[in-house]
Amino acid sequence: MRTSIFALAPLASAASAARFILHIPNTPLVNPSSLTSTTHATLQSSGAPLDAYITRSNSFNFNNVSVGSYLATIHSRDYAFEPLRIDVTLEEAIEGSGDKREKVAAWQTFLGNEWDNKGESRGEGGNGLVIEVQPRMPKEYYQERAGFSPLSFLKNPMILMGLFTLIMVFGMPYLMDNMDPETKAEFEEMQKKGVMGSGNTNTAQQIQNFDLASWMAGKTDTPPRNPSPAPQSQGRKRG
Amino acid sequence: MRVNAALALAACLAPAAAIFEDDAYHIDFHYALLGCPKHEATFFQKPYAASKASLLYTVSENGTIGAINPKDGALVWRSARGASGNGHLRAGEDQDTVISAVGNRIAAWSASDGRVVWETSIHGAVAEDLEILEQEDGISNNDAKDALVLVAHGSNGVKRLDGKTGRVKWTFEDTSGDTPFQVSSSPTTLYYVSLHSPLLGGGSKIRVTSLSPITGKKLDSYTLSSEGEVSTKENILFAGANTAAPILAWTDKAHKVLKVNIIGTKGVSSFNTPASESIESIVLHAPRKVNSLPHFLVEYQTATGHSAEVYHIDLNKNAISQAYKLPLLKGKGTFATSTTDANVYFTRITPDEVSVVASVSHGTLGKWAMNGSPSLAGAYPVHGVAEVVVKGNSASAIRSAALFSNGQWALIRNNEIAWTRPEFLSGTVSAVWAQLPEEESLAHQLEEEHHQDAISAYIHRVQRHLRDVEHLPAWLQNLPSRILGSVTGQSDSSTIEEIQHDTFGFHKLVISATEKGRLSALDVGSQGKIVWSIDLHQFAPGAAITSPSLKALRGFVEVKDPGLASPLFINSTTGSQISSQHAHNQWLPNLDQETLITYKLSDGELQGFLGTEPATQPVWTFTPPPGEKIIRYTARPAKDPVASIGKVLGDRRVLYKYLNPNLVLVTAVSETGRRASIYLVDSASGQLLHTASHYGVDVSRSIPSTFSENWFSYSLTLDSASRESRGYQLIVSELFESPLPDDRGPLGDSANSSTVLPNEEAAKPHVISQSFQIPEEISHMTVTQTRQGITSRELIVTLPSSNSIVGIPRGVIDPRRPVGRDATAQEQSEGLVKYAPIILFDPKWHLNHKYEVAGIKDVITSESGLESTSLVFAYGKDIFGTRVAPSFTFDVLGKGFNKVQMLLTVAALFVGVLFVAPLVRRKQINSLWTVPQ
Repeated sequence: MRTSIFALAPLASAASAARFILHIPNTPLVNPSSLTSTTHATLQSSGAPLDAYITRSNSFNFNNVSVGSYLATIHSRDYAFEPLRIDVTLEEAIEGSGDKREKVAAWQTFLGNEWDNKGESRGEGGNGLVIEVQPRMPKEYYQERAGFSPLSFLKNPMILMGLFTLIMVFGMPYLMDNMDPETKAEFEEMQKKGVMGSGNTNTAQQIQNFDLASWMAGKTDTPPRNPSPAPQSQGRKRG
Repeated sequence: MRVNAALALAACLAPAAAIFEDDAYHIDFHYALLGCPKHEATFFQKPYAASKASLLYTVSENGTIGAINPKDGALVWRSARGASGNGHLRAGEDQDTVISAVGNRIAAWSASDGRVVWETSIHGAVAEDLEILEQEDGISNNDAKDALVLVAHGSNGVKRLDGKTGRVKWTFEDTSGDTPFQVSSSPTTLYYVSLHSPLLGGGSKIRVTSLSPITGKKLDSYTLSSEGEVSTKENILFAGANTAAPILAWTDKAHKVLKVNIIGTKGVSSFNTPASESIESIVLHAPRKVNSLPHFLVEYQTATGHSAEVYHIDLNKNAISQAYKLPLLKGKGTFATSTTDANVYFTRITPDEVSVVASVSHGTLGKWAMNGSPSLAGAYPVHGVAEVVVKGNSASAIRSAALFSNGQWALIRNNEIAWTRPEFLSGTVSAVWAQLPEEESLAHQLEEEHHQDAISAYIHRVQRHLRDVEHLPAWLQNLPSRILGSVTGQSDSSTIEEIQHDTFGFHKLVISATEKGRLSALDVGSQGKIVWSIDLHQFAPGAAITSPSLKALRGFVEVKDPGLASPLFINSTTGSQISSQHAHNQWLPNLDQETLITYKLSDGELQGFLGTEPATQPVWTFTPPPGEKIIRYTARPAKDPVASIGKVLGDRRVLYKYLNPNLVLVTAVSETGRRASIYLVDSASGQLLHTASHYGVDVSRSIPSTFSENWFSYSLTLDSASRESRGYQLIVSELFESPLPDDRGPLGDSANSSTVLPNEEAAKPHVISQSFQIPEEISHMTVTQTRQGITSRELIVTLPSSNSIVGIPRGVIDPRRPVGRDATAQEQSEGLVKYAPIILFDPKWHLNHKYEVAGIKDVITSESGLESTSLVFAYGKDIFGTRVAPSFTFDVLGKGFNKVQMLLTVAALFVGVLFVAPLVRRKQINSLWTVPQ
């Protein structure tokens, strides 16, 4: 499976060039073998990003990565992946020996945050480090067409209002008939007093007399909110 | 005004329109292209040894490696575009990989899915040739077969790469200074062919070096005297690497003599070519398999016809003899070789027929007259590959994939064209929208009526209507089927009829030009059907067209190219040429009415000229500050309808938009300061209206920008030295007349104002900007266009790294989104939500959904017949077209509208009425007859 990894060994000849591998593990969310061959990873620092396409062993091989701090992104058609920060540094293996070696370190990173705001470490090591990358979620490209369902039909406020009116019109007389005489008398008394009605009449009248045209044209009964009358008139002229 | 506001509000509040699953693949189309395939690197091959079906592999002229399903022409996989066009592709027998060498990169690909198996690169050199080592010491190696790479243009030599890992097993260095030409293998030895040029000029000698396959050590070397004929690599014909008898052939300049050498022997056989007509080119065709018969075919192309001769090699005597000739046929044609076991078959493909002969004798095994296809009309096959099934003594089936002269790659199955792939479209460099003839002529006639006096205009109109009546019977005839189709939802909207009766204006022609000078028209509304396609070279013989640019004018397009002395004018509906005289008559009058300003970037400054052509004296010049270099400029599109001059706020006050048709956005970068600056210039006066600078920008990456209505946007890549954040940014700025609502700024309500001669301090826009972090780099951006501009706009961005095109809703990138607090109720009613620094591209915004559109260079948008819908066309390496409705399709019934259900409801109500009517009648009668109490 991993033969390809060793194949690249002779290539890393340049002194300050690291190589490492991003690997997609097999997770319940995604079987990495099902990813398309266009899946690739980019390492962005400055200039053109480094690019590596997915291999048969579900990994991305980066060779000859020079020292720097990189933003690693995995581009896949079907899944979204978390971005990573990968730092390549030259460090002395043994202090004072002068023998400098590449060191690769990877962390989670968060877009729109400060670059130094690192997340969980995703691996650290020398050349040939394997960093696992996690898919976040599948990409859903399509919108569901809202099909017809009786429940959604009933949820419509217009239908609800209609149903309520229907119940009131047909149900109320039955209710009144079935009421015992005392309650009925009480209820009629209440209606006369106008507890239920008085508040409503005005509103109902308002609703009936609502002038849609003048509302759309911007006419308001309330005094203008803008304290200075001049720009207001200007605006209306143009609007 | 408020109607618009209400509409815009509804659009903002609703989530962004995404693609419905049942619309996908219907409203959009995608040509996943490879580019024109290269002859020597195209072959049929089983993706793995046990596979039943084979795939068609190729490497194209732009270095893309791909596999095509020969059944339907669908792309199985493809690699990214290669660094150079000089690509090689080989596959070993019974292998599950294909090995490619493009530029300095050698890679092995999983043959069935295109995943990388291994890859390696040569430092400081380019792969000149690639072969697979099929046999070693006469024994076929069934494991991963090793590859042989010929390295040139640097350190010359041959490398043997391990087939499993790509590791270099040995390297043979050639320090003689010869030009490497080919590498070839026989079962026991490797041959390295190079050209040895003497110091004192003259012809070149061919030097053949034999190498040990195991160690790479030089075994022997000899030269062939070819000085008389060969001077460059192009003079050598080569065929049959990896066969039992690889051969080397060359001819003299006049193509009179053909000299053939069996590699490994020193003898050169000489043959005279047919003398009947002067030969333009000679191609050698030999089988590719090691165990096939050592026969080869020599193809002769003359100006009027083509013929071939078949030769046999006697391996024992190392002698070559002519076996038979294939007769000269008029017209162009090509040959292809195929093998079954050891037998070799030659297929002759001409525009009219396909015929098969065996290499042993000249008897025709099978012949099929080809059923023509409109996409191949007038074209001839240039090169091809074939697969033949031979039963007994006749060929029972044949399929051949041939590249035609018009750039179509076609698969011919027996006598029919199974599929065609418009590979010539790959490498489109310019495209414009043109209008279809029907609309054009109607507009033209209406205009004619407009200009005539009342009576003749009336007569003209009646005549026009009478002419239209002609179509009535046909229309009535089609009516039932159309209604039925629309009710059942199975209407197929890709017929020519539909284009003519296009009520929604979805059918629009795009004229596109490729870097090779091919001009074609595609109907975006009917799955990108190619209406016509022409070669521009026929109108300009001798001109080398490299980067044509198009401009759409009424009814025709103007083609300009550095290789053309004067622009060409092409009719946009037929593809025929229009004389420039005629073209000028048609379009010049329009120009007088409008005063245009053209821009030119020269000597680091932007200059504005009056008129259509850069004149001598610029009206104004814009010079960036020292150290900055202008990299691009974006003007507000000439056609940019604005429905509302203001933006209605939640409290019903209005923010007035700064609408100036002459705005130019200039992008300049400073490399030393890692700074990108944006200048907003008024192109009428040349005055600077607004400026913004961004520091810590990677100025080596592109900074795309776009301008629409009263807002502009651009995107940049942050430099690695930036400590604050990394990645890519999208910046959106909106221009208003005044920061205060219900205020029109210093100009107030004055009727006239001029930016050229401002009487007082000129009105500068109030700019609100906001930047967003985005996860990917943007290579190009544009804005949707609709007829009236009422529909909210969408910013269409191209993401090269994920091969997609994304439509970002305007509401998301509104710079007025409240920062650091939740939106108030009034802001919410405007559709504003709290600012978030990151915009993640929702997969539902992807216009391309599951398609992968690679190498997009430019995206153009156009209005459709419907206000809700904008047409989008993307071109570059791939071609992609779709339509978008940023505020949903509010003016047309979608597929979700169930017409059957509606009819059933009406029927049910009718039945209900029938039942209830007697009841009601009885009740009414009863009420009349009952005695009131």
